[in-house]
Amino acid sequence: MDKILVILQKEWIEIRQQRGLMLGVLLPPLLFTLIPLGIIYLSGSLVSNGSLSSPGKSFPGPAFAGMTTAEQGQAVLGSQFSIFYVLLPVIITSIIASYSIVGEKTSKTLEPLLATPVRTWELLLSKCLAALIPGLMVTWASGTLFVIGTAAFAISGRVFSAIVSPGWLVVFLLWTPLLGTVAIAAMLAISSRVNDPRSAQQLSVWIIVPFFAMFFGELAGLQVLGLGFTLSVVVLLLVLAVLSIWGASRLFQREVILTRWK
Amino acid sequence: MNTIETHKLTRKFGNLVAVDNLTLSIPEGTVFGFLGPNGAGKTTTVRMLTALIAPTSGTANVIGHELGTDNRSIRRSVGILTETPGLYDRLSAEQNLIFFARLYDVPAQRAQEQAERYLRMLELWERRSDRVGGFSKGMRQKLAIARALLHEPRVIFLDEPTAGLDPEAARTVRDFIKELRSEGRTIFLTTHNLPEADELCDLIGVFRTQLLRVDTPVNLRTGLFGRGTQVRVVGNASGWASTARSLSFVRQVTSQDDSLLVTLDNPDEQNPQLVQALVTAGAQIRFVEPIAHSLEEVYLELIEDEPATSVQN
Repeated sequence: MDKILVILQKEWIEIRQQRGLMLGVLLPPLLFTLIPLGIIYLSGSLVSNGSLSSPGKSFPGPAFAGMTTAEQGQAVLGSQFSIFYVLLPVIITSIIASYSIVGEKTSKTLEPLLATPVRTWELLLSKCLAALIPGLMVTWASGTLFVIGTAAFAISGRVFSAIVSPGWLVVFLLWTPLLGTVAIAAMLAISSRVNDPRSAQQLSVWIIVPFFAMFFGELAGLQVLGLGFTLSVVVLLLVLAVLSIWGASRLFQREVILTRWK
Repeated sequence: MNTIETHKLTRKFGNLVAVDNLTLSIPEGTVFGFLGPNGAGKTTTVRMLTALIAPTSGTANVIGHELGTDNRSIRRSVGILTETPGLYDRLSAEQNLIFFARLYDVPAQRAQEQAERYLRMLELWERRSDRVGGFSKGMRQKLAIARALLHEPRVIFLDEPTAGLDPEAARTVRDFIKELRSEGRTIFLTTHNLPEADELCDLIGVFRTQLLRVDTPVNLRTGLFGRGTQVRVVGNASGWASTARSLSFVRQVTSQDDSLLVTLDNPDEQNPQLVQALVTAGAQIRFVEPIAHSLEEVYLELIEDEPATSVQN
């Protein structure tokens, strides 16, 4: 445990000293929170327009049933932006993990690191936590701001409930760590083959595509992100996270790193 | 007592044999020079002995720990300077050392003290708070050597410790290695710098996938070339070559200008008889001095005799 903390401390000192990396970690959550809140606020201010108080018919999904056109508009906008919180842990953990792992490779620090008595699992866990903890902290902090802002700017309780639904809360609280874990495992696998952090980041972001499809499915009325469905996906993600970490740990062995990572 | 012992240690990468049946014993407190051309399998050997990669077959024991069964103990007990310094550019010199010391199980307070000790010893203390990214190659190398010593290992593996350093920095590193030797530590030194190996090593192994020869530098020279005596005479020496050849104990004679180069088995005892024979024959002798074969000559002789048998991965 002591070694894990030592490595985490080192990782975070390095992260803090890279301006580009800090920008990449802090800017997306800031934009993903402030822009949606601004749009939710602006859409709420249009409520005074009388024609928008009639029952909305544009969105067939059950999440928007019984809302006025204005409420539907704000709820749909809010829901669209809320999906960014699925993307955030993947983006942030990928950025940090790519620098953390590919960085060790390019600076040729892996061999001296592996020559110490640190256990391979301690090193792997440290690398995962070094990326996952800041990724989740930033995601949850910005998400909390989004929830507070939505509560403040939503034109009705129904709009707030449609955006910050129980399903979305499951996504926000349970999908994010698991997606972050899968992203890190993917980054480990990619890192064994590439020598540039940016290439690694570009490749890892593809894992988000199926999860985006679920959200767009909900907006189109094809899929309901209810509690049952999102919890089922948690189980699926858990299996995926375990499998991906197991796969990554196979690649992250002293011998493999020293003889096969190019 | 032997600090490092290997028996038929072998490592293959697919069909390529990188290290072939290496059997070696290195006594405690020895500076062992491991010489060989690029791709000979030296780094693979060091990686096996530091428990970074597993052998395909054979056994090794490092400071009483069996390779393969006690790998963490081996890693905890040895220090290693890898081929490239491998330091964190964004951390300061002190942060780099403390980080690695902690990974070697050195308690926090002691890690701080050890970092200070070695930074001072290697003349880097004034730059302790500077980022390593701004360090010269020599400073980085010295810092990497300090890293290998933080946990006070009894066995230290140094891979090309002076490669690419300016003469002054190389001298500092060599002096430091001598200091480590005087402390009784065993040093496994991989180098291409043959004069350096000659200066530092008690024992030398010439290696090209297989161990071609292992002995002290003196024995390597005499074993391969015999011991030589150079006799300088007044006038051309070629006329006295037949006199020298007529002596039963003389192995080989060549002449060059005013010099006779005579190979003998035991110059200490045979030189007086050689000189007496030449003087009796009428030669006027100006100087008699030993011929020193360099380690480079020995190395090239051994390596050129032995064709490459495999390629390292």
